[in-house]
Amino acid sequence: MLRTLIRQELLSHLMSARFFAAVVITLLLIVANAVVLLEDYERRLMKYSQQENAHREKAQEAKTYSMLKLFVERPPNPLSLFSAGLDKRLGTTFEIYYGSVPMISDASARSLDNAFLNLFSKIDLVLIFQVVLSLMALLFAYDAIAGDWESGTLRMVISHPVRRGSILFAKYIAAMVCLLIPVLMSLLMVLILLSATSSIQLHGEDFVRIGGIVLTTSIYLSVFYLIGLLISATTRRTATSLMLCMFLWVVLVLVYPNWSRFTLTPIGNTRAVSASAYQQAEQIWKEVDREERVFLANSPLEGEPPKFNLDVSSSNSFSSGRHFIKRYGINMKLLGKNSEPLVPHVQKYHATMGALYIRAAEQSALVRKQTLDSTSLREAIRHERLMKLSPASLYTFATAAWAGTDLEGMFDFVQAVQSYRRTVIDYFHDKDAFGSRQWFASDKGAVDWWDLPQFRFKQTDVWENVTRALPGLLLLLLINLALFTVTFLFFIKIEV
Amino acid sequence: MIWHIIKRELFDHINSLRFILTVVILSALMITNAVVHLRTHPRRVRTYSENVTNAISELKSRTALYTLARRGPGNLYKRPSSLSFIADGGDAYLPKNISNGESWSTSGQGGEVKSNWWLNYGTVNPDATDLRPYATKIDWVFIITYLLSFIPLIFTFDALSGEREQGTLRLCLANPISRPILLIGKFLGTLITVLIPFVFAVLLNLALISVDSWTQLSTADWGRLGVILLIAASYTSIFIGLGLMVSAGTREPRVSLVVLLLIWVATVIFMPSTLGTLSTKWMPPVQTMDQFRDARKAALKQITDDYGARMRAVKEKKNPNLPSLSELQKLYETSPEAAMAEAEKLRGVWETEGDEELALKAELIKGDIEIRERLNRERLDAQVAQVQRARTVTRLSPAAIVQYALESMAGTGFNRHLQYLEHLHQHTKQFRQFIVETDRADIQSLHLIGIPKGMSQKPVASEAIPKFEDKITFSNTFNTATVDLLLLVLLLGIFISGALLVFVRSEV
Repeated sequence: MLRTLIRQELLSHLMSARFFAAVVITLLLIVANAVVLLEDYERRLMKYSQQENAHREKAQEAKTYSMLKLFVERPPNPLSLFSAGLDKRLGTTFEIYYGSVPMISDASARSLDNAFLNLFSKIDLVLIFQVVLSLMALLFAYDAIAGDWESGTLRMVISHPVRRGSILFAKYIAAMVCLLIPVLMSLLMVLILLSATSSIQLHGEDFVRIGGIVLTTSIYLSVFYLIGLLISATTRRTATSLMLCMFLWVVLVLVYPNWSRFTLTPIGNTRAVSASAYQQAEQIWKEVDREERVFLANSPLEGEPPKFNLDVSSSNSFSSGRHFIKRYGINMKLLGKNSEPLVPHVQKYHATMGALYIRAAEQSALVRKQTLDSTSLREAIRHERLMKLSPASLYTFATAAWAGTDLEGMFDFVQAVQSYRRTVIDYFHDKDAFGSRQWFASDKGAVDWWDLPQFRFKQTDVWENVTRALPGLLLLLLINLALFTVTFLFFIKIEV
Repeated sequence: MIWHIIKRELFDHINSLRFILTVVILSALMITNAVVHLRTHPRRVRTYSENVTNAISELKSRTALYTLARRGPGNLYKRPSSLSFIADGGDAYLPKNISNGESWSTSGQGGEVKSNWWLNYGTVNPDATDLRPYATKIDWVFIITYLLSFIPLIFTFDALSGEREQGTLRLCLANPISRPILLIGKFLGTLITVLIPFVFAVLLNLALISVDSWTQLSTADWGRLGVILLIAASYTSIFIGLGLMVSAGTREPRVSLVVLLLIWVATVIFMPSTLGTLSTKWMPPVQTMDQFRDARKAALKQITDDYGARMRAVKEKKNPNLPSLSELQKLYETSPEAAMAEAEKLRGVWETEGDEELALKAELIKGDIEIRERLNRERLDAQVAQVQRARTVTRLSPAAIVQYALESMAGTGFNRHLQYLEHLHQHTKQFRQFIVETDRADIQSLHLIGIPKGMSQKPVASEAIPKFEDKITFSNTFNTATVDLLLLVLLLGIFISGALLVFVRSEV
């Protein structure tokens, strides 16, 4: 009996104009946007490799260890096609410097050629499912019960020996199948497009992630279908049910995610937090300065570091002290003979400073991390939580977690950058770079960078994505369950 | 007769659920908009006026003409619009002030040279470190583009197909009414129904905003508000026309609803961003910052090399047998003391400056500024061209047209930024002219702009220094908005005549 019911519902949906329209428009939007987004991804990839080459060249240019300017670039995520998340927005370039631990807020967008283009809103494939198919789900649902009730077919069906539960279930299954058809068809199209381009190579794990996105999509669509069904069961008039569905859709999908930010009151006293962090960092670097002075007092070196009063005919150097970070680099190309006896002292100076800078970097990293956690990160998480009251945003975040373009995915990269910094410091230690002559002078040969460790970023394995997406997924499932139960209760008590 | 139809439509709609829902949602959004504006606008205005005062007092403290020439006009701030609650215009993505470039100095043969200021168009990219999820500002643009297109469709999808299904349409046309009159009656009825809640919400919004003493709307602002309301009304009319057209062409209201909603989703939600991304494909490329810096370095190297060669020639003409650096190096290896003495002599030669040397320096500084400003300007122009291209392409969507028109009218957004840049260029030109003229007035000066010894040493009266004040002028904005307004009127004509055509030819 259930099978007959499902078949009848399915056929009536499949033959309807709305199903046809849903499939056509979804496919059209998905294909058009997939082409555009692929193009965009390829451009980003090209820029990434350009930047990477430039960084490599820049690193090779350094003649001494202290002159090294090392940058790493975040590669674009191929799954950002599905869910852009933060992948396109956040800065992609990080500097690797022993005197500072890179944080997510240090990312710069050096590869960006035109910041004005941020004026145009971004798009991803998940947004199409989120907007178009949730609307379709409501359009499938608004007259599911109310329409049958109005036309009298409900009475007819119930006069047969069918349980009401199975009627509801049949409707649900049939509609979900109809909603999943456009999802799967468009997914197929996207995969065909992807396999036609050489720039994106998906691995086995990526297919699992895409599978996760599809799973989340179906659970999300089911939420909207059940919302429509509930409204349909409670109002019992198609006209009323339709209007409620439409306006609820506007609120949940369009208005609330944007509106929620402005109900957040700003976290009090971020300025005080940053001011105290500033003071602490200043203290840390003052301590470095003090120890530097102590060192210099016990050393025969005279004059301003790092040049001192050495007999140098030609050198280049840089120094800066911005954002709590002190840095210098020097390359003495020719050292006078008179200065030769002082060289061991200079080496000792740089070795001491290297150790001091690394220590200060680790110390101020703690302070900076605390500040980040209690200001911008806290605000971001608060906002995310508030947004998740709408299933539409819940869906956005869950898919971003699958794709690895969410906040945590970005932190994965920052962690990789931080550990790369440690690798570079270890490399320096292995080479005894801090206390070497090549730290500040290239007169006896420039540094050969052939064995400088290369930066590699590997995305976390799929299980990590699963655990990150799971809370959102479970929440969506829970909403589903609650909605289904309430609808069922209403439907059982409905008078036909 | 037409009044009769309008009246009937109005009563029908006003008693419906959708009308109530429309009132609720529009009012809620407009109140949010006003509250957010009240919370953020005072700070914006205060920061702007503080910044401007600081910039001007700093400028006034510079009394030496050379300091003015070296440091330039200081920070030049963009004035925030009092109507920014209507259109945010991507405020966060546009620089709020433009300052002088950083400075450089070199020493070597010919003594020390210090750079003069140049215009540096900074960029802002708040996205690079913003961890928060993306959210659009709830401004009038949001409310109008999304809701004033959605609501008309909700009111019109069953206007003709529903009546046809029920048979009332046939009944209606049995009376001596022509079809166009019926359609126009329905059109006007719906328009009034949609505008009632909108105007109500707008009044709520304005009442809340006028509480605030920081937002003082002038008569000109009220005039602009009037134009903005007209834009909103014509945008709504376009979608009413679309709704009636589809409704006239379909048999069932269900079908017309689905068709309309899908058209709406595609044109209003997806087209602007898809086309924006798509348009980058055909854009002429712009250099990244790193590439730009390399190119600039190469261009500057030419003039500094030229300067070095000419300076050396001048020095050698005055002091023949001047040793070169490599010769000194060699000498140093055999007898350091002699080399040191030679080097001291060389430094003496370098630091004595005659008129010729000063002229060379002034030329270097002038060339440096010219190259830097030209390259900066070229890069800016290329970026602006990209944005203009993208805007032109996105204009295929009526939502984008309305967004641009509203931004222009509110004095925010990209067009406003261009206007600010224009003011800026005028001002910097005036500033440079002021320095040249002040210098020319002093007969003791050598008239070599950009180097301390070549310029007038007389103190400058602080009142005479030109001050930058950014003004929002509307004759200009209106010009930029005309394209968008014309496009809107065109679309309106197309959709209304389309609806007429379809309805006249359809079977009842």
